[in-house]
Amino acid sequence: MYMDQLNQAVKGGIAPFHEYLLQGSIVDSSKDVLVHRLRGLCDNADSNPEAFHDHEMIFSLKGSPQQQPMTVYLRHSLIQTDCWHLRYVGSTEFGDKTRQTLVRSCVDIGVSDSIVKFLNEIGFKLEYEFVAKGYFFHKGRMKVTVSKLFKMNIQGDVNNIDPLTLSCLVELSVVVPTGQEQVGEDMKNFAEQLKPLVQLEKVDHRRQQQAAT
Amino acid sequence: MQKEEKQLEMSLESMIQRVSELKNSIGALIFKLEHEYETLNWPSLLDNFALLSGQLNSLGRVLKSDKVPSLKNQLLLPLLLHPDPDENLRKLTEGRLLFFNHEIAPNYLRTKLEPEVEEKTQQLVTKAQQTTQEQTQKQLNNLNKVTSNLLDIINSTREEWDNESSQKSSQPQTSSLTDTNALVSATLTGKGLKSNRTRLPESPQAGMQQLQKIQNPSISKAPSSIKTQIKAASGGHPYQRT
Repeated sequence: MYMDQLNQAVKGGIAPFHEYLLQGSIVDSSKDVLVHRLRGLCDNADSNPEAFHDHEMIFSLKGSPQQQPMTVYLRHSLIQTDCWHLRYVGSTEFGDKTRQTLVRSCVDIGVSDSIVKFLNEIGFKLEYEFVAKGYFFHKGRMKVTVSKLFKMNIQGDVNNIDPLTLSCLVELSVVVPTGQEQVGEDMKNFAEQLKPLVQLEKVDHRRQQQAAT
Repeated sequence: MQKEEKQLEMSLESMIQRVSELKNSIGALIFKLEHEYETLNWPSLLDNFALLSGQLNSLGRVLKSDKVPSLKNQLLLPLLLHPDPDENLRKLTEGRLLFFNHEIAPNYLRTKLEPEVEEKTQQLVTKAQQTTQEQTQKQLNNLNKVTSNLLDIINSTREEWDNESSQKSSQPQTSSLTDTNALVSATLTGKGLKSNRTRLPESPQAGMQQLQKIQNPSISKAPSSIKTQIKAASGGHPYQRT
């Protein structure tokens, strides 16, 4: 099984990985405190936190009505406009209490600006889009993002935007090859250090999806 | 009479037990201080002190309890003094006392305080006796006043602190579960992002790509037809949803 995956990865140039994920949020007024704390906790404490400003588009390909639509997440940096990133994530495993984080399989690929056209050509349709602005930190292989999500008032217009909530989304994630449960423990410990500022938790995605439909 | 003796014996036994416990823990603490001072940490030292204070307390309780006959009424008199080393005594005292002779006995059996201490106490007693009733009353009043003032200050400060801490504990609502859920479901399912969107074709960025795309094939055509074509095409721009 594992060898198959590896062969496939070598052939296709795409490696299947697992993403371990914890999510939380911080109200805007306390965001600076959190950023300050993250600067202290994470690597490169002496340099300014790395900012990002992305436009995310979510495309899906619907097969027959019985089938689950295939969804991909496309991110386009508005700072470095030639940076496009396409990501596919599998369904999220919530797991039991012994598992510290959410786990989902994911595939990350760097793409070029023709991706939108390509996706449209093969039948993908834009589902929704938003703008994410925020900071990015890393500590070892852990990645922390603090992002403010904006609703786009006009489709495709990244300048005409309104904040979605009064909070910023905080995500702690690690992407590793299959089968490294130790990561969850590290992440839990890191999340502990951000309390009580942010409660990073396993957010049940299935429940969220049910609530949305 | 016999009953009292029995009681005394029992209370002595329990006293000895308490005292030896106390002695052991003091010994253990000293040992720790001498041998483990490099690794000894503050909490464990505090634990030791807490143990000592607990044992002292229980010893005090034994002494005060009703079952113990008043020890002040008991007489203790040395029956035999001996100048030679006493092996038995050495064992009993764990090597601290070798003789029970004329020099040591008075020291161990004394009931009076040390002379220096006694002198100091005497001084205080005479001083207290010299003050008149009136003066005493005055001083007492003064002391009461100062004490009550102090109590007031302490109480008010404590109230302030309590208020502050309660404010602090109520204040930091730095994250909200509803917002977390809203944000996560927005990224996952587009909840809150799909609705209320006007789809105006004039959107600069998306529109531009479309414009170029359309203009190319229509360059050769008449200007009027370009206009209509742009309008017609702008409805279906590349990110169109179904």
